[in-house]
Amino acid sequence: MGHLLQYVLNGLARGSIYSLIALGLVVIYRGTGHLNFAQGEMALFATFGAWWINDHGVPLWLAIMIAAGGAFVVGGVIEFGLIRPAGKKSPFAVVVITIGLFQAFNSLSGLLFKGAATGLPFGTLFPNKPTDFFRLPGGAIWRYEYVGVLVTVLVITALLFLLFQKTKVGLAMRMVANNPDSAKLAGVPTNKILMLSWALSASIGAIGGCLVAGINANVNLGTMFGVFLLASAAATLGGLDSPLGAVVGGLSLGVIESLVTNYPKSWWGSTYIGADTAIAVAFLIILVVLLVRPSGLFGSTRVERV
Amino acid sequence: MSPEPTNANGVAPLLDVRGLTAGYGQVQVLQGLNLRVAQGEVAVILGANGAGKTTTMRAISGMIARKGAITFSGDPMAKRSPDEIVRMGIAQVPQGRGTFTDLTVEDNLRAGAFVRKGADIEADIQEWFDVFPRLRERREQKAGSLSGGEQQMLAIARALMSRPKLLLCDEPSLGLAPIITQELFAVLQRLNAERGLSILIVEQNANLALGIAHSVFVLETGAIVASGTAEEISNNDAVRKAYLGY
Amino acid sequence: MPFHIRESSPLHWVLRIISVSALAALAVYIASDSAPSTLGKITEACTLAIAAVSLNLLLGFNGQISLGHSTFVGLAAFTAGYSVNAWHWNPWVSLGVACLVCFVLGLILGLPALRLKGPYLALVTLAVAFVWPTVARKFLDQTVKASTLKGMRLRPPTWTGLSNNRTDRALFLFWLAIVLLVVTYVIVRNIRKSRIGRSLVAVRDNETAAAVMGVNLAITKTVTFGISAALAGVAGWLAAAQLATLDENSFTILSSIKYLLALFLGGAATLAGPVVGAFSYFFADDLLKTNATKWDFLPGPLSKGPVASFLLGVLVIVFVFIAPYGLVGFIKLQARRVAVVIPRPLRAAPLATESTEHISPAVAGEI
Ligand SMILES: Nc1ncnc2c1ncn2[C@@H]1O[C@H](COP(=O)(O)OP(=O)(O)O)[C@@H](O)[C@H]1O
Ligand SMILES: [Mg+2]
Repeated sequence: MGHLLQYVLNGLARGSIYSLIALGLVVIYRGTGHLNFAQGEMALFATFGAWWINDHGVPLWLAIMIAAGGAFVVGGVIEFGLIRPAGKKSPFAVVVITIGLFQAFNSLSGLLFKGAATGLPFGTLFPNKPTDFFRLPGGAIWRYEYVGVLVTVLVITALLFLLFQKTKVGLAMRMVANNPDSAKLAGVPTNKILMLSWALSASIGAIGGCLVAGINANVNLGTMFGVFLLASAAATLGGLDSPLGAVVGGLSLGVIESLVTNYPKSWWGSTYIGADTAIAVAFLIILVVLLVRPSGLFGSTRVERV
Repeated sequence: MSPEPTNANGVAPLLDVRGLTAGYGQVQVLQGLNLRVAQGEVAVILGANGAGKTTTMRAISGMIARKGAITFSGDPMAKRSPDEIVRMGIAQVPQGRGTFTDLTVEDNLRAGAFVRKGADIEADIQEWFDVFPRLRERREQKAGSLSGGEQQMLAIARALMSRPKLLLCDEPSLGLAPIITQELFAVLQRLNAERGLSILIVEQNANLALGIAHSVFVLETGAIVASGTAEEISNNDAVRKAYLGY
Repeated sequence: MPFHIRESSPLHWVLRIISVSALAALAVYIASDSAPSTLGKITEACTLAIAAVSLNLLLGFNGQISLGHSTFVGLAAFTAGYSVNAWHWNPWVSLGVACLVCFVLGLILGLPALRLKGPYLALVTLAVAFVWPTVARKFLDQTVKASTLKGMRLRPPTWTGLSNNRTDRALFLFWLAIVLLVVTYVIVRNIRKSRIGRSLVAVRDNETAAAVMGVNLAITKTVTFGISAALAGVAGWLAAAQLATLDENSFTILSSIKYLLALFLGGAATLAGPVVGAFSYFFADDLLKTNATKWDFLPGPLSKGPVASFLLGVLVIVFVFIAPYGLVGFIKLQARRVAVVIPRPLRAAPLATESTEHISPAVAGEI
C-alpha cells in the first residue's frame, strides 16, 4: 500500500508538469487548430533564459517570472510575425514553421548558452535535502519538491481556469475556440485573441520547463523533448481542445508512467521494464482510449458536413 | 421597376449601401449592390438560393473583403473590421444561427455583450429571459443541446445583447417548423414595433417576409433587381410570379 | 499568353523524354566522376527521397498524416540486417520480406487511422515513432546479443563488371539507389494516375462525399497506409545496405520530421515534390554542416558552434514564405506563365456517375 501511494504521488508531480505543457498546446489548438511542435523547444529556450538570469544574480523564482514574461512576448511575436501570415499561405505552412521553430530554438539554445549540450546546473525551487519529506501512512514518503511542483502547477491551472471561466478575455477565448465566425460577429477581435493564446501558451511552457529543470537540477538540450512528447500525448488523451482534458490527461500519464516504471521493478527486482517501456505502455493505453473516443476523453466531436 | 433603391418612408437612411462588390477569391458574387435601411424600419432582402444574400450580410458585417460605399448613421464603415462594426451598432444573426454550442445559454448571452462594459449586462440578460422564457429554463444548459427554434431565439437574444441599432437576420426561418417560424417573426415584429429596433432580414420565404416588411429588396445574382414598399412589391407581377408563385 | 501543351501529345512526350534523358545524363556524369563519399551522399539523399515519396502517397494524396514513417524505415532496415546476418538470407530476398513486414505493420497502423483525424492521427503515429527505438533496443538486443546490428554488405553482381572493393561498392549502391528511387516514383505515379489514385484524392478532399460516391473508405485508407509503409521499407532496406552498423537511434522521430520537411519543402501532393524536396533538403543541410562553421562574418555567438542546424531551421521558415506550396509548387506557378499542360479528359469514370445530389441535406426541422 505504501508503495502504491508513493508511486501515485510521485507520478502526480511529474504528470502535473505534463499537464502544464499540455495546457499550452491546448490553448493554441483551441484557437487556431494548430499543433505547436515547437512548444517544448520554446519552453527549453525560456528555461535557459531563466538559468541565465539566475546566473546573473537574480533570485531563481524571480528569474523564472522574468523568463515567463519574456516568453509571453516572444510567443505573441511568433504568432503575429510568422504563424498568422503563414496561415494565409497554405494549410501546410504552419506545420512546417513550427517544425522550423523546433529546430531553430533548440540550436539557438545550444549557440547562446555555453555548456547547454552537456547540461547546466539548474537551481532548486523547493527544499530538496535528502531529509525534506513528509511521512505518510504505510511507510510512504512524499518529498517536498514533489509537493511543491504539484501545488505550483495546481495553482497555475486554477488561475488559468479562472481566466477562462470568469474573465471577459477568457470568454472571448472560449468564443473563438467554439465558433470563430460568431465570435467575430459578436465583436471579438479574434486576431488579438489568437496572439494572446500564443503568448499565454509560451509563458505556461516556460514555467513548465523551469519546473522540469528544477526537479532534474539540470537543463540540457534534450530536457524538453521527452516531456513535450508526453505532454502532447496527454493533450491527445484528454482531447486537444479541452483544458480539463489536458490536466486529467497529464496527471494520468504521470501516474501510469510511475506505476509501470516502479511496480515490475519491485515485483521482480528487475529493471527490465525501464522508463522507456513505461512510455510505450502509456502510449498503448492512449491508443486504446482513442479508439473508443477518437477525440480524447473530453474533446469535442464536431459533426462533419458533406 | 427601377434598380435604384427607393426609400419607403423618405427618411434619412440608417444603413446606406452603394455599389457594394464582394466575393470569394476570384469569384465576384455581389455586382455593385445598392440598398438602404431607414431608422426604425423592417427591411427584407428577398432572393433565391445562391443569389448572394448571405454574402451581402457578411459583407456588411465586415466578415469578407468588400468594395463600395457603406455608411451607418452617416459614418463610413466599408473599411472597418467586424468588431468595430459591432461597436458601431450593427449585430448579425448569421445563417444557421451561429450559437456557441459549447457555451451555456447564459454565457452565450454574455458573449453577445462582449463589446459592452458595465453592470447592466446582467440586467439585460434577465430582460431577454423575460422575453424568451424558454431560455431562462435552460440557462445552465449548453446551447448545442437546444432545439432549432430555441437556438434561433438564443441567437437573436445574443445579437441584441450588444444593444444594436440595426439587427441583421440571415434566413431565420431556415430549418424551422412553420409554427415556430411564425412565432419568431412575431417576436421580430414586436421588437421593431415596441423598441423601434431597425431590422434587415434575409428571406427566401416571401410570404412571411412581406408580412412584416416595410421595404423590400429583391436580389438576383448579386444585384438588386427590384425594390419598394412591401405593398409595391407584392403588387409587382414579375416578383409575384417568381417569389410568391401566383 | 502562355504556351499550351496537350497532355501526352507528341510535344509533351518530347519534353518528357528530354527531361528524363537530362536527368539520366546527370546521373551518369556524377557516377563517372565522383568520389565514393559523394556517391554515398547521393545514395543517402535517395533514401530520404524514397521515404518522402512514400509519405507523399499517404499524406499528400490520401490526406493521412504519419509521423511514424521512421518506424517503417527502421523496421525494414532491422528486418533486412537481421535476416541477412542471423539467418544468412539472400539480401535481395530480404528486400521483399522487409517490404512485406512493413506492409503488414502499415495495415495494422492504418486501422486506428480509420477512426482518428488530423492531429490525433499525427500524435498517435508520433507515439509509434517514439516507441520504436525502445522496442528495437529491448527486443532485438535480447535475441541478437549484440549492442548493434550489422548492416548488410551487397556484393555487386558479376554482370555489372564491378569488383567487390569500396569504390565499386559505392558506385553499385549509387546506381541501385537511383533505380529504387525511380521504381518507387513510378509506382506512386501510376497509383496516382489510376482510378484508385482518384479515389485516394477524393477521400482526402471529402471523406463523406467519397463514401457516397462508392469509395470504400476502410479499404482505401488502410491499403494506402500499407503500401506507403512498404515503400518506406524500400528506404529502410537501402539504409541497411549502406550503413555498416544499424543503430536504433538512426530511425527516430527526428527522421520522420525530416521526411515531412523534405515533402513539404518539395511540395506535397505533387509527384516530383518529395524527390526535389529530399535532394534540396539533404544538400542544403550538408552544405550548411560543412561550411557554416567557417562563416566568421556571422554576428556574435552565431560565428561559432553548431550554427548549421539553426540556419537550417531559419531557412525552412523563410522558405515557407517564399514557396508555401513547396519548390515544385513554386516552379509550376512560374512555369505556368510560359507553358500550360492541358490534362487529358478523363475517360468515363464510374466514380463520377453517382451524383452527389442524392444526399439528403441533414437539415433538422426539429423544435
Ligand atoms: N465560402 C464561399 N466560397 C466560395 N463561394 C461561395 C462561398 N459562399 C458562397 N459562395 C457562392 O456565392 C454565391 C452566393 O452565395 P450566398 O451568398 O450564400 O447565397 P444565398 O445566401 O443567397 O443563398 C453562391 O454561388 C455560392 O456558391
Ligand atoms: Mg444564405
